[in-house]
Amino acid sequence: MTERLVSVLRAVIFVLLGLALCGIMFQLAGYSAPLMFQAIADGAFLRAGALQQALRWSLPLFITATGVALSFRAGYFNIGAQGQFYIGAVSAAFMAEWLNGAPAAIVIPACIASGMLGGAAWALWPGLLRLKSGADEVITTLMGNFLAGLVLLYVTAGPLKDPSGSGQQASSRPLDAAYRISDSMGLSPTIVAIVAVVGVAIWLLINRTTFGVLSGLAGRNPTMVEWQGARTWRIGLASFLISGALAGLAGTVELMGPNGRLTGGFLPGHGFTAILIALVANFSVVGTAFVALFFGGLASAALYLPIMAGLPSAAIDVINAAIALFITAKSSLIDRIAKLKGRTWKTS
Amino acid sequence: MEDIVIAILRSATPLVYVTLAGVIAQRAGIWHLGLEGLMISGACATVLGIVLTGSIWAALFWAIAVCVAGSVLFWFVVEKLRANQIIAGLGLTGLGLGGTTLAVQSIFGTQAAVSAPFGLPRLGPAFGAYGSLSILVLLMPVLVLAVWVMLRRTRFGLRLAASGEHPFAARGVGVNPSAMRLAALVMGGALCALAGAELATGSLQIFAQNMTAGRGFMGFAAVIFGAGHPIGATLAALFFAIVGAIGIKAQLIFGDRIPHDLLLGLPYIATVLGIWVSTKLRGGTKAANGFAELRNE
Repeated sequence: MTERLVSVLRAVIFVLLGLALCGIMFQLAGYSAPLMFQAIADGAFLRAGALQQALRWSLPLFITATGVALSFRAGYFNIGAQGQFYIGAVSAAFMAEWLNGAPAAIVIPACIASGMLGGAAWALWPGLLRLKSGADEVITTLMGNFLAGLVLLYVTAGPLKDPSGSGQQASSRPLDAAYRISDSMGLSPTIVAIVAVVGVAIWLLINRTTFGVLSGLAGRNPTMVEWQGARTWRIGLASFLISGALAGLAGTVELMGPNGRLTGGFLPGHGFTAILIALVANFSVVGTAFVALFFGGLASAALYLPIMAGLPSAAIDVINAAIALFITAKSSLIDRIAKLKGRTWKTS
Repeated sequence: MEDIVIAILRSATPLVYVTLAGVIAQRAGIWHLGLEGLMISGACATVLGIVLTGSIWAALFWAIAVCVAGSVLFWFVVEKLRANQIIAGLGLTGLGLGGTTLAVQSIFGTQAAVSAPFGLPRLGPAFGAYGSLSILVLLMPVLVLAVWVMLRRTRFGLRLAASGEHPFAARGVGVNPSAMRLAALVMGGALCALAGAELATGSLQIFAQNMTAGRGFMGFAAVIFGAGHPIGATLAALFFAIVGAIGIKAQLIFGDRIPHDLLLGLPYIATVLGIWVSTKLRGGTKAANGFAELRNE
């Protein structure tokens, strides 16, 4: 229990450090830091309807972040969540287009399946490159993000283009209302059910199955797991595929839920925020749920910042990045607190 | 033919500068994923500097100052706070991308691109058709050679390599690896500033959000592809730039038959292939190994 407490303490301290650094920076740049924090608190949780907005952003983030956590735990740096998210959304959009006119009871599950397959496929090739020939997945998944962004642009300006759309931003034809799983507020029983299923399934997978135990060990010490006779490459491939499928699922939820259509470059920070959530939560599923709510709150505050503190909404990206900069830091102070408890618990 | 060479030089120069920054950092034992963020900060600071001060030299000074400050912050986080290099690097990149957008928006009130009245000094009519290229293009081969000499032929370079490959041995002969890494990152910061300056004001004289479009990451990939050797990495960066130029050329020729968004993806595909080829030749790279420490230590 102490270990968990220390890791929570650590995450809280470094998130606060990131926030404080941004506060100081914005204050120096001539903005009001207290007003900024007030606006974040209001926009994220306090204002009427804010919690609903925070949930709207955090539910898809939670789905992607559990996938990221799973692959990081297994020792694979799949930072291609953004690309897998896009390709998932694109696959689901094609499926919806193809089945257009069929009953919703068929179309919605088919779209979800194709979104997950699309995301998994986009994680498959970096996974194979990594596991078969050792090509560094950090670079390949990053390049995959850029490629997926271009695919999305191509699809929204080409095959799925909405002819009635303005020239300003390419977007696809809106989904038929019958196929939407939520309105533009992004909260519906269907989405909550999907999130609950994902949360429970991944929690069980990590905590109650051989795969969960072995993948966690493989992340710490692959050689040992290999020597014990487990096939690490199968664990690795499964981690890539599951994390890709979950990012694809999040893309599908965004498409069929709040967005209702594809837009070129939509939610550009989704993958990065999901990685951040997984790291802050220290790869635990329960932790991910809470942390996702926090970052969902920040995302919802992004719309509120310009009005209240006069800060451009990009300030939220800066805050996220500052937290990322510090979140993996190790603090001797926290180590010391942990040791005070009479045990030398590791802090990460 | 000339126009292709010019197009290649134009897209290669920023990439080579940022690659050299990555090479120096890699020699010192740092996998630098913050290159992208430093590069965009350099680009933004150069354009804002020109607009606000009216002098290219003051603008370059500010760009270098900003990038060096970013590098020192990165050094502090990975060396002193022992943060994971890859995540901290991505954080630095996010800080650069978000911070530049924020700066432009808060100074000019819009997210639109900022254009500068003039850019880097050009080579001039003495160079004929190549006169429209900036002086940084001419400086590039000189710098590549200088970095090669520094890394391979000087005591400093040897100490830098020792700090990266075997910090304990370096410590044993009285070298402080942490200070060497600071030096490497500061030099890299200045190079990233030049990369950004060339990208933004070498031909177009404009700053747009996210205009680096992954060039920093490509520079990082070029370091891996070129096995951390300055000449090898430069050749890798040139290769990516040539593929990019071919993509632009192909757009003009096949624009109606192949969607241009997909042609724009060619450099990214070349980067993936480059990484794959280099692992075929030399075995796996170690960048991701830094990850194990996230859970181990």
